[in-house]
Amino acid sequence: MRAYVAEAWVEAPLQRFVDDAHVQFALLLHPSGQVLGQFGFTRAVDVMAACALGAAIHASAGELGRELDGHPFRELYHAGRERQVYIAEAPTARGALVLLTAFDAESSLGLVQVYFRELRDALRLAAPPAAESGPALDGNFEHDLNRSLAVLFGRAQQPVSGDPQSTRPPA
Amino acid sequence: MSTPYTDALTAVTRQRGVLGCLLVSEADGIIVDADVQVGIEAGVVGALVASLYRRARLGTDAAGLSAVGFLQLEAERGHVCAVGRDGLVLATLAEPKAQIGLIRSAMLHALEAV
Repeated sequence: MRAYVAEAWVEAPLQRFVDDAHVQFALLLHPSGQVLGQFGFTRAVDVMAACALGAAIHASAGELGRELDGHPFRELYHAGRERQVYIAEAPTARGALVLLTAFDAESSLGLVQVYFRELRDALRLAAPPAAESGPALDGNFEHDLNRSLAVLFGRAQQPVSGDPQSTRPPA
Repeated sequence: MSTPYTDALTAVTRQRGVLGCLLVSEADGIIVDADVQVGIEAGVVGALVASLYRRARLGTDAAGLSAVGFLQLEAERGHVCAVGRDGLVLATLAEPKAQIGLIRSAMLHALEAV
């Protein structure tokens, strides 16, 4: 299966991560909840919900870490009965990104951590400068969110570098 | 710093040609304890060997061959050996010239002690 992305520079690192780590689902998002790439989801509404929840969990864990330890927690792991969830932060030139991934017994926490480190390094190298790619989130959050979802599910094209408006869904 | 597993790991790492020994959780691929030479990425090795051992165990189970007794990978620049019990995997990295028979014996004894 292939990963779908809203911005081309995350495609290769994300695809490699899901291939190597054998995860069932993966989401790459801004801490604001805006999605950059996804793997394993079939419905836009599921991506939207997972992004909102993932962003909220990441923000809560960050604040909890600051309260307890003076530093935000950057990784979070939850083991369910059949599936496990791992959330971690990847700093890039475009600001921090958040990976949310779910996996079953086909993978393991150790493997996911190993390949997440590779993903984090690859994203750091691949990230375009912040000025070139524009802000991750401007005032029009809903428009950006819908545009990302449209790109992910094939209703719009990926943006040309430096032209964030080029992905408006076709009329 | 000594841990409950230090003696078991030391019994393996003192064998000639051994580069490191790790005790890893089979399900998680997370290191419980390790004694490896500088430069070896214990976390990466532990996660991958635990995954390999688990798949080998599932493979032999599926083939009706019962449990994996001893797993050995021979590479150009060394060996990876693994034995497991009760959800733990004891993995050893060794040089090409190492005596695998002695290492195997030490690993099986160490696993009994864990």
